[in-house]
Amino acid sequence: MENLIANFNYVIVVILMMIGLWSMLAQKNLIKKCIGMAIFQTGIILFFISIGAKRGAKVPILTGDEAPVVEQLANPLTQILMLTAIVVGVATLGMALALAQKIYRQHASFDEDEILENQRK
Amino acid sequence: MTEQLPIIVILGPLLAAILSAFAAWFRPKWSHPLVVLGLAVSCAAALKLVFIVAGEGAQNYWLGGWGNQAHDYVVGIQITVDSLNTLLLAAVSGIALLTALYAKRLVDAELAGRQRYFYALFSLLVTGLLGIGITGDIFNLYVFMEIAALSSYVLIACGKGRAYMAAFNYLIMGTMGACLYLLGVGFIFVKTGTLNIDDVSTLLPALGQAQALFVGFVLILLGAWAKMAFFPFHGWLPNAYAHAPTASAAVLAPLATKVAVYAMLRIMVTVYSIDYILDSPGIQSVVLLLSSIAIVVGSFFSLTQTNLKLIACYFVVSEIGYMVGGAWLANGPGLTGAMYHVVADAAMTSALFMAVGCIVYRLGQAQLNDLQGAFFKMPVTMAAFVVTMAALIGVPPTCGFFSKWYLIQGAAQAGVWHFVAALLLSSLVKAIILFRIVEIGYNRVPHPAVEGNPAIPRNEAPLSMLIPTVAMALGLIALGLATSPLVNTIISKALPDGLAP
Repeated sequence: MENLIANFNYVIVVILMMIGLWSMLAQKNLIKKCIGMAIFQTGIILFFISIGAKRGAKVPILTGDEAPVVEQLANPLTQILMLTAIVVGVATLGMALALAQKIYRQHASFDEDEILENQRK
Repeated sequence: MTEQLPIIVILGPLLAAILSAFAAWFRPKWSHPLVVLGLAVSCAAALKLVFIVAGEGAQNYWLGGWGNQAHDYVVGIQITVDSLNTLLLAAVSGIALLTALYAKRLVDAELAGRQRYFYALFSLLVTGLLGIGITGDIFNLYVFMEIAALSSYVLIACGKGRAYMAAFNYLIMGTMGACLYLLGVGFIFVKTGTLNIDDVSTLLPALGQAQALFVGFVLILLGAWAKMAFFPFHGWLPNAYAHAPTASAAVLAPLATKVAVYAMLRIMVTVYSIDYILDSPGIQSVVLLLSSIAIVVGSFFSLTQTNLKLIACYFVVSEIGYMVGGAWLANGPGLTGAMYHVVADAAMTSALFMAVGCIVYRLGQAQLNDLQGAFFKMPVTMAAFVVTMAALIGVPPTCGFFSKWYLIQGAAQAGVWHFVAALLLSSLVKAIILFRIVEIGYNRVPHPAVEGNPAIPRNEAPLSMLIPTVAMALGLIALGLATSPLVNTIISKALPDGLAP
């Protein structure tokens, strides 16, 4: 239990990813699928940020000749990776919404079942 | 100059994509030649690299010169061409070049008015695929995966009718796959603190059976499987590729899934190791079973379809089973078969979709019943089609025979008899489909050579499509004849120590 409280951010990450994955796969509404996708990606971004976080750490910019102390410097890599992942996420979400809009113009519906019904005709 | 070759492989199509996108606004006529030029440069570099790798071994390139071997740390992104990926790079760039030449007439016909954007996206897709193949960094692989995926969503969505919905389903599945992969990368990063593939592979053995690494491994595999449409994630593929414009399908079907298989092989063989897989026999038997099911399901559904495009798509689903199964046999012949089949199947699927594209171009659609008399209308196309089907069935001396030979040998050595049965069943199903097409295309009309029967006018596909199709079909035979030099000088060196013959 203590372990869970100490690592509450990971618990939230798991919950976010579960919500995202569930609504991507189980929801019938296309827009809800898009929202699920965004939540899933947010969960992953939080996960990466959490693994790079360090209490009381500084930005790793070295000045002068002093030897760097690893314990006092945050790992910048995870944040940089997530900048890239955010860009990818925005592009994917934009693409998904554009497709959803096109589908709505075709079928006047966001509901997957109705669209499939329409396509069968 | 030769040390710059690895980066030229991806720079060619990347620059061509950018220039072609600009040219689309000012000089629409230039976008196609620009893309062909970029792909030709990339293809030449990739072919040259095959010989260099065969002679001298792996070639490394450090982007921006950051963190080279002179230091003992890694800062930048490494790109690597070694015996595991050099054939894949040559195959991807070569097939992309031929497809770009082939696609011109199809794009003019199917995407009239929008063709100028097609080539920029096409080139961007190839950049992403080549990037997945060449990168030596697991996060960079994710970025290239998404570059390829985003451009393929658009390439699919520009089709007619159901294409939007098919593209949307693919997008959801593809994004889920990429996210799972990224999560897996996170687990590896937590344990090793590095993203460089060489670095990770030297650090991993010391960490042993850490649970986080196992979870990362499974997540990465799930991600790669969703991307490659491995059973049970195959649902998106047939719809997406069948409703995409024919020209898009001709580049996506052969390349996109094979590159995902390569990514899985890279993670299995280089990042983790074959010993790691042998130490977790639980998943191995499950994956082998899934591969057999994938082959059977793909074959069964291809038998029930009446549309030539859908039949070809289900072939892709079953071929994925071949490669995943071969890789997870985790012995010498199995891995050789899987690595060889990645290249062979890219060529076979490409030839198949090109031939189907020629038929669609002339006959308008690809229902089996519309093929009546096709052998008299377009004899050259159908000859290429029969050669391709023979390769898919596994008739010597085409490349399909040799990959199947290795796979069956590997399965027999590992004692996985259901995989052998599935492979043979799939050959049988493909033979049935070939005979059915020959029956419809050749026998259902009165033979025109017999006196009194109506003559059937020749209606062959245009030369710009016919030449790449025939070249690809002949390439299948050439690839088959070149099997033993390829396997001996390149593929066998990619096998982990102890497995090479």
